Amino acid sequence: MVRLKSRYLLCEVNVSDRSQLLLLDDRAIMVAVKAAVARTHGDYGAAMCSIRFCVKYLNAHTGIVFLRFPKRCYKLLWSALPFITSIETRGQKIPCFLNCLHVGVKLRVCTKAQYKGNTNYLQPKTNKQLKKHEV
Amino acid sequence: MKQVEEKEEASVYQRVVLKNASPYHYLKVRLVLEDESTRLSAVELKYFIITGLKSLYGEVGAAVNFDVLKYDEDTLTALLRVYSSLVKLWSSLTLLGSYQNKACAFRVLQVSPFLLALTGNSRDLHLD
Repeated sequence: MVRLKSRYLLCEVNVSDRSQLLLLDDRAIMVAVKAAVARTHGDYGAAMCSIRFCVKYLNAHTGIVFLRFPKRCYKLLWSALPFITSIETRGQKIPCFLNCLHVGVKLRVCTKAQYKGNTNYLQPKTNKQLKKHEV
Repeated sequence: MKQVEEKEEASVYQRVVLKNASPYHYLKVRLVLEDESTRLSAVELKYFIITGLKSLYGEVGAAVNFDVLKYDEDTLTALLRVYSSLVKLWSSLTLLGSYQNKACAFRVLQVSPFLLALTGNSRDLHLD
C-alpha cells in the first residue's frame, strides 16, 4: 500500500510583545511561511510548499504552532523558516521569529512533546513558573 | 611460457569507469535572441543567468557557484563552469525565456565534467 508520509514540525512563535501574540491566525502563519519559502527557494520551493503543507494547530496563548510538510522535502522547507521576520495579520505587522522545537512523524508524538515542553522548552509564562526557574 | 603469459596480459582490454571524478561541470551554451542585433557583455550575461536562477530556485539558487570562463560576444557563446549543482544551473537555463521583454533561449551545446572534452565535437568535425 502506498502511504502518504509527512513530517510534523512543532514550532514556537517568539514575539517581544506578548499581547500581540493573541492576534495570530493560522492563515496568517501559512501566508508568512509560503512567502518565506518562495523568497528563499524560488518557484521550486513554492511548488513543494503547495502540496500537503498546512498549519495543523495553533495556540495563540502559548505561541505553539504545528506545521505539516511532506517527508521528501521537509528539510528544505525547514531551512526557510529562520527567514521569517514578521507575520502580518489584520493589517498589523508583528515582528517575530519561529523556533523549531521538535520534528515528529506522527501528530500524536508532537502533542506529547508539547506537553513535555510545557515545563522544559518553553519560556515561563506565568509568575509561578518564573519563580520556579529562579529557584 | 612466462613470457607468453605476460604478452597475453598486455593485450587484455581494460575498462576504467570514473564516478564523480570531477567536482566541476563545464557547459558550452549559446544564447539565441529574438532580436539578433543585441549584444551582451560577460557581466550582463552572468547577471542574466543569476536572475534566472533566482526566479526558479530563490536566494539559495542565486548563490550557486558558477563562473563564465570564456565568452564570445559576436556569437553569444559562453563556457560556464559550475561547482556541484549542475542540475540547478541547467534547469534554470532551460526555463529562462525572456531577456528585456524579448524572447530568448539558451542552447546547451556540450556538457562534460572534463574541460578537455569540450575542445572537440563530432558534430562540428569536418573531414576533408
